[in-house]
Parts: sequence; C-alpha cells; structure tokens
Amino acid sequence: MAVQEAKRANRLKSGKLVNKLVNEYWEDLINAKKTGKKVVYTTGLPIGPFMAAQDMAWIHGEGYGARVAARHEEKEPQTFAENKGFNRELCSYARTQMGCAMFAELGVPDDLNPGPIATEIPAPDAIVTCYPGCSTGPQWDWAIERVFGKKIPWFNVVIPYHMGRNGSTYMKGEEFEENVKYVVRQFEDLIKFLEVVSGKPYNWDKFQELMGVTKKVGKLRMEAMELCKAKPAPASFFDWSIQIAPVNYLTAWPGTVEAMQAVKDEVQERLDNGVSAVPNEKYRIFWEGIMNWNKLGWMADKFASYDATVVAGRYTHMAFWHEPDTIDPEHPLRGIAINHLECQLNLGYPITEERMMTLSKDYSIDGIVFHGARTCRSFSRSHFLLAENLNKKMGIQSTSFEGDMVDDSFYKEELVNTRIEALIESLEAQKSRG
Amino acid sequence: MTSKSDRSSFYTMGVDSGSLTGKAVIIDGNRQIVSHSVKQLGFVSQKAVMMAIDDALEKAGLALEDITYTVSTGYGRKRLEIAGKNLTEISCHAKGANYLYPEVKTVIDIGGQDSKVIAVDPSGNVKNFAMNDKCAAGTGQFLEVLARALDVELTEIGALSLQSDADIKISSMCTTFAESEVISLVAEGHTTVDILSGMHKAISGRMKGLVGRVGMQQPVMMTGGGAKNIGLVKALEKTLGVSIFIPDEPQIIGALGAALFANDFATGIRKKVEEEQDLDKSRVPAKDCASCSVQNFQLNKN
Repeated sequence: MAVQEAKRANRLKSGKLVNKLVNEYWEDLINAKKTGKKVVYTTGLPIGPFMAAQDMAWIHGEGYGARVAARHEEKEPQTFAENKGFNRELCSYARTQMGCAMFAELGVPDDLNPGPIATEIPAPDAIVTCYPGCSTGPQWDWAIERVFGKKIPWFNVVIPYHMGRNGSTYMKGEEFEENVKYVVRQFEDLIKFLEVVSGKPYNWDKFQELMGVTKKVGKLRMEAMELCKAKPAPASFFDWSIQIAPVNYLTAWPGTVEAMQAVKDEVQERLDNGVSAVPNEKYRIFWEGIMNWNKLGWMADKFASYDATVVAGRYTHMAFWHEPDTIDPEHPLRGIAINHLECQLNLGYPITEERMMTLSKDYSIDGIVFHGARTCRSFSRSHFLLAENLNKKMGIQSTSFEGDMVDDSFYKEELVNTRIEALIESLEAQKSRG
Repeated sequence: MTSKSDRSSFYTMGVDSGSLTGKAVIIDGNRQIVSHSVKQLGFVSQKAVMMAIDDALEKAGLALEDITYTVSTGYGRKRLEIAGKNLTEISCHAKGANYLYPEVKTVIDIGGQDSKVIAVDPSGNVKNFAMNDKCAAGTGQFLEVLARALDVELTEIGALSLQSDADIKISSMCTTFAESEVISLVAEGHTTVDILSGMHKAISGRMKGLVGRVGMQQPVMMTGGGAKNIGLVKALEKTLGVSIFIPDEPQIIGALGAALFANDFATGIRKKVEEEQDLDKSRVPAKDCASCSVQNFQLNKN
C-alpha cells in the first residue's frame, strides 16, 4: 500500500550548472540599458536567438515568472497586480510579470516587500509575442504596454494550431506544410521588425551560429531524456523541468552546450552504474500539464516517497527544440517554425493523443498524473478526454488535481496527496492482479 | 494452524477521519462487524474521530489495547497516531463496498469534501477511479452550504426535493457561486423544494461526468453521507438510468474497508509470527561448535 516514507528524489547534480547560466543571463539583462542594449519582452515560445543575434536583451514572460516563483518571490508581485485590478484567475505568469513590471515602473508600495529578482526588471523597448494556443498572451503584452504608458513597438507572431485536418499528422501533411510556410513568412517579417528596432541590418551570421548552438543543445537534451526509457530511470521529469531554462529563455546562451553535455554525461554515468532518480522505482508516471515551479522539490520528493518516478511529461518531452534534427543552421527559419508548430500546446487533439500514447509506450508508463493549472486552462483543455482514451486504449490509470504554474495558493496539499496516493494504491492493486 | 476461535479472538479497527465526520468500525478475526460509530463535530475534527473510536469500543465492550491493528483513512488519516497504516478513501470504499456486496462493480461516493467514482474488481481492489478535481463542488459540503442558504435542515433536503416536479437549473457547481445563484432563485420566487431538486440534478449531472470517465458497470453502490439523501439518490438513478444499491450505513463504508485492510495486515503479521515460531521450533542449537559461525541449523523434516 502507499505508505509515504521519508525518501528523497536523487536529483541530477549537474542540474546546478543551469543556475550559473541563469545568473549570467540575469546580470546581462538588468544591466542591459547601461550597456546600450535594447530590451525586448517576449511571451510564448523560445525566440531568444532572434534578439540575441542583434545583440539585444530579452525577457521571456513565463520564464521570468517561473524564476521569480522558483526563488519564492512571486507572492508580492502577484499581490500588487491583484491590488491593481488584475484578476486572481488571470494567468499567474502574466500576473507575476505584471506585478514586477509595475514595481519597476510605479515603484514599490510601502506595504509590500518584494525580493530583488521581482524588482529589477528593465523597461521594454519592444515586445514580441509568439504564442501557440493561448489567447491571454497577446493581451498580456498589451497590458504591459499600458503599464509603461507609451507606444511600444510590438510584433505578434501567430502560431496556428496544427489541427490534423485532411489526414495531416505530426510533421506531415498539407496542413502542416502550409502552417510552416505561414510561420516562416512571419519570422522573415520579425527580422525586419528587429532591424528597425535595433537600427542596424540583421546579423544573419550570428543568428545561424546561435541556431547551430540551439540544435546541439536540443539534441543533447532529447538524447539525455531518451536514456530514461531505461528501468529504473536515471533521471526524472523534475530534472528535465530544471533543464527547461537552457532550451527556453536561455536558448543559445553561451555555456548551454557544455551544461547540457554535462547533464547527458551524468545521466549516462548513472545508467552505467545503476543509479536511479528514485531509490526504489516501482511505478513509472507520466506528468501531464505544466510544472508547478514553486513545488518542484516538493513534488520530486513526494513521488520518490511512493517509489514512483515521473519519467516523462508533455511539457518537457513535446516542446523546447524537441525536434532538433529539423533545424538547418544555414537556413534556420523552417526548423524553428516546425519546432514551434509541433509543440505540446499547439497540436490538435488526435495528434496530442497519438504523441502521448507513443511516449507512454516508449517510457513504459504505469499511470498518468494530470495537473490542471488553475490559471492555464489552455493547457488542460483535453485532460478528461486524454484520461479516458489512454485508459481505454492502453489501460493506463490516471488521477488529476488542481494546482497552478506559479500561484501556490491554488494548492490544497491534502487534496493533492489523496489523489496521488489513490493512484499509487490503484497501481499497486493492478500489479497485484498481474 | 490457527483455529477459527483463535482467529475471531482478535479485533481490528478502521477509522475514517473525514472532512465533516469521524467514523470508526471494529471487526473481529472472522471479519464480522462488531460495532461502528459516526460522529460529526467540525472540519477534520480529531475530537469527532476520538469520539467515534471511543463509542465503537464501548459498543463492542473492548478497550483500545484489545485492537490488534488499526488502519486510518479520510482526510485526517495521517494524523491518527494509533493507526499502523493509512490508506486513501478510494481503496477503503472499494474494499468496504465489495465486502457488503461482492458483485458490486461501480461505487459512487459523495463525501464531505470529495466526490468519487470507483470501478471495483471482484476482489475489492480498485480497477480505476475518478475524483472531483477541485474544491467542494458537488460534495456534501456543497449541500450543507446550500441547505443553510435555504434555511433547511440537511437531513430534510432529500425528502423535500422529491416533492418537486419543476425543472430548475443550477448552472454553477462552485459552492460560492451556487450559493449566490440559489439566493437569486429565491428572490425570483422559486420554492425551496424546487431549488433543492435543482441542486440534486446539478450534482447528478456532475457525477455523470465522473462516471463516464471510469465507465459505469452495474451493479452500482452509493456510499458516503450523500447516500443518505434520498433526493440525491433518486436524481442520480434518473440521470444514470440505473438502480443504485444503498447500504444500511453508507457513511461507514470507508471505515469498514479500513478495518478489513487492518484485518489483512494483522492476519499477515500473525501468519508471519506463527511461521517464525514454527521455524524456531524446528531449529536446534549447535553444540560444542564454538569455533563455527553457524550457531544453529534447520532440521530436515523430510
């Protein structure tokens, strides 16, 4: 039975290398204005290399919210945003960044005491939105513009859904090819936009070099994750959640190749030496939903205490340069478009289900945990259907609970405990039936 | 080999520390129910749990020391120090329902804080389950809040709702918003019985979604405090198109399942002890072998 003992997840040591890169990125960002760099706010998919090639700094809204939450500094900006009228049900990433932006622009009120990360955000010189499957993103950027009270140059890349029309499947078919062309045309216009904002011709050589780095990091990450098909898994979803930064807002940042290589080496070494992410792996779980950034360690240890390894997830395994082979550094736009079009948030239901079934088979999944983020219904829109169909088609049991990306006030710990424990008990009963 | 009389001479207890009530069930070694108790005081009330335990012990004529093993379940399951193990309500309701009605395949439990649907195998194990994913929507707490808003005793709402033949829709299942909706319906002049009927239909609709996720198979049993609400039971039967079996004491099914698990554990422990005792009897100490590390050996019985 599911008796929770004090076991801890054996998390990757090399994961800490990311902290150094994050700190370097952050130092560069907060000093950007002093060094004459333009600052671009982005939301949605990882498009940092577009700006990096022009020697511009960028803030990725969700990545920033996640970092503020991981440092447990999210409460003050969220409270400030709510006090200014941004509803609590609004995307918590947006609420967090809005609060931080307002600290920067309006000053910190006497009754709040925010941490340093939450107050150092520089003002934007431009905004680039690049969202799949989310209607909040563009409005978030619109609100940012209003906070700073001036007309900020704004470019919106529209990533259309890949619905799977007329037989189009994952990375195949007419719908897919048309979507790729549509996004590539927008990227070409984005580059013209960045030339205007930066006041100089686009540095294609630098862009190609950065996309070469992106491809390498993407490939290393996917290879390292695939090593975890082994039983027991040498690393878990929670390790891969930490490794999102180098393939998200740190994409192509100096040092990311070395950091990801170190991660892959450690995973390989663990595999060679029989070291696992969870001391006594009995169950293999798929995590469906966005990670809860302020609950990362808590969740990792919780599953470890039930001898369960969360080995894969839609968030980690179906996005963030997950198709690195499609990137041709000499002609990078098509590869970027493919990775962004075929990411976890952007696929129609039949394709999503097919991808999840493939991952569940590849990673020998016993059960699925559906995390319904309270303030991101976009991500959880197919949860019930996925739960039903993966159970019918593959016999995989699941449980669901409600939480959030960066607002832990939506958690009720015992509600989460009961649902996870019930799944584990149910899996144990299933194993005992044989 | 333990005789039947020996087996029945030990007792195990299941304790369900629920969000609104404390329940305790004591069974004997033959897995027969000896006593049970249900007490309500407040949210996850330890006092209610202790009262239920004391009451069950008193009814059984036992002291706490007479209980060989205790398993706890419910929201407060981890806070009960006397429990040897704790298990979720999902496993315990499945086990308890199977004990009372071995043919049961689907269990619907509407408790204080959670509503759940459990697919049960013939051994009483959980095959699949679905729970409400958040808050108290569609649960006992939801009914309590709305009963209060209508100034009706909780125990009366079931029978009252059956008097209605109106079709009032309550769209929100959020307890807070539904309360506002009920107040609005009262202001519009709808009768209490019609609103109560609408509440039950709303919960039934929600439960139908959970049942659909698990896949309903008959026979169906309903457990938890919600099963004592005849209006809700009838609404569910109509919505699902099935007859629902209601046990005599639907609130104790989780505690009963916990007591049965406790019996399993206690039996396992006793068996292991007995095997070890048998093993000890078959060992003889080695003599005059001080230099040898082997201090005893097992006789070959063959």
